[in-house]
Amino acid sequence: MAQTGRVAIVGVSTHWGSELARTLSRDPGVTGIVGIDTAPPGSDLGDVEFVEADIRNPVISKVLPALEPDVVVHCGIILYPEEGRPSRALHDINVIGTLQLLAACEKVEGLRALVVRGAAAIYGSAPGAPAFYTEDMARRFPLVTRFQRDVGELEGYFENFARRHPEIVCTMLRFQTEVGAGLDNPFIRYLSLPVVPTQLGFDPRLQLLHAVDANGALAAATSNPVRGAVNVAPDGAISLSRLLKLCGKFSVSMPPVFAGAMTRRVGSLLGTGAMQEDGRLLLRYGRGCDNRRMREEIGYEPAFDSEGAARDFAAKQHGMSALFRSPHPGSPVRTLPR
Amino acid sequence: MSDSHDSRPGLELEWAATVQQTMDRMMRRVTGEYHEDEYGFDEEFAEAVFPIWEFLYRRWWRVQVEGVANVPAHGRALLVANHSGAIFPFDAVMIGTAIQKEHPLPRWARALVLNWAFDLPFVSYFMRRIGGVAANPANLGRLLGQDEPVMVFPEGAKGFGKPFAERYRVQRFGRGGFVEVALETGSPIVPVAVVGAEEIYPKLGESGLLAKVSGAPYVPLTPTFPLLGPLGLLPLPSRWRIEFLEPIDLSGYGPGASEDRSLVFDISEQVRETVQEALFRGLVKRGAAFL
Repeated sequence: MAQTGRVAIVGVSTHWGSELARTLSRDPGVTGIVGIDTAPPGSDLGDVEFVEADIRNPVISKVLPALEPDVVVHCGIILYPEEGRPSRALHDINVIGTLQLLAACEKVEGLRALVVRGAAAIYGSAPGAPAFYTEDMARRFPLVTRFQRDVGELEGYFENFARRHPEIVCTMLRFQTEVGAGLDNPFIRYLSLPVVPTQLGFDPRLQLLHAVDANGALAAATSNPVRGAVNVAPDGAISLSRLLKLCGKFSVSMPPVFAGAMTRRVGSLLGTGAMQEDGRLLLRYGRGCDNRRMREEIGYEPAFDSEGAARDFAAKQHGMSALFRSPHPGSPVRTLPR
Repeated sequence: MSDSHDSRPGLELEWAATVQQTMDRMMRRVTGEYHEDEYGFDEEFAEAVFPIWEFLYRRWWRVQVEGVANVPAHGRALLVANHSGAIFPFDAVMIGTAIQKEHPLPRWARALVLNWAFDLPFVSYFMRRIGGVAANPANLGRLLGQDEPVMVFPEGAKGFGKPFAERYRVQRFGRGGFVEVALETGSPIVPVAVVGAEEIYPKLGESGLLAKVSGAPYVPLTPTFPLLGPLGLLPLPSRWRIEFLEPIDLSGYGPGASEDRSLVFDISEQVRETVQEALFRGLVKRGAAFL
């Protein structure tokens, strides 16, 4: 294995930033880890050096070069617009923040790689979409939601940067929806509702990325970055109806006209946070991403497929599911937890 | 009555076993313990609705099939058929049923479905569960790469929604995208000619207003629809004839040939003519449309 060297993790206090720092601290190829964020991480990360800085502030282009990183990992992009944190407010963090960070990376001498933890939301959700998007299909359909356009814009800046700096290996990771016990995102909160609202007459195909794989793939990409965009997605897909059955959830179907307003209302009523336009489209048409590039080029083999992640999530959540667990497995679980 | 009981001692047990099996199956459906593939195809669901297709196939449309052995038993295959139906793609369903019932080694054939079907409530997930996939080259290439048999209807909406007066005139075959993918993946093309589907919903006109309201590309007017409401959706019992033609092997061209526009159009036109000729032959062989 090649030496990874010194890694700077931007957004180290986020869940995925902290997880990455923990994983990399066990990697002998990593000689040092610096964490950058606006607030110190909630848990003890061992010998991770912490630097308080805001990527929205131009000062970052003075801070970052001084740390002399070999690899910069950007975990500061917020992948889910939600209630109280709408996509309009995310623009500042996601787009302007990334732009500032790229400017700072230009000043870092001897930077070998830049890894950005981006979103598969750039593909959107459409009725006639490919069942599995490959990386080259990102802008084939119009970007319809504000968040999608944000991701498109920041990927545009990223691509420009990669073109101007061929000596730096620039990786854009496009993450599918993560699930895992103890994880918190709008999709998991949606699944945790006592009665889950679905859109009448629609049953989207979803891909669920297990938390183990979300972290594993990010660490693998840090040690072995490749040029361009890479989908981080599990094998296969699972329909929402089957996911809810596996979780032992009751669902209520609502006419699509009301679905948007209702999910928002139900969400804010229960304080669970509602998914905005992206979520509504995802829960109507679904989305699948092709993961061949991740498996073959980054060399990360996911431990769970979509069904495996759903089963693991269902097994670890509390509620009705245990009562209804059937003794007859209908299909083989191809992948098992490590 | 005890006599018959003695002669068939296992009857109660058998009945109990059937109840048990049904309960198990229902339980598996309720708890999500069933299989669906990565495209959302649900084989158990497809089997559950199959008796409906079987009834339509045997009794309603009395389908005659010729050359079903031309569908390869193994590996990738691209079935290219003429399209009609105006309301529901029964032609795709019947091609699939013909393979299931007549082929020595039956397989579930996937169908590429017009994109707007996936924007319609219920239709979207019904189509997906019985093996429908959104029509785009990426999906076709991926399915063929996985050695699946795939049906395409290159006429698309032009063929599906053509008026009754133009029945059995095969429309333009899109932009030949299916040929490009077949060349890239080295898949044999099996032309399929479906006679009979044109008469099930004779389309006399279109309702622009209903199309606007429902968001569908068009809403057909037939002698019974929408006049009789949902009853008008009952397809007429025409007599059908499905002919699977000799496969066209494209493996000799090599993967680079898909870049050759004129070759793509040549092959596309060749397939279209093959289907058109088979349709005219089939119409003569079938005779009267309804008797």
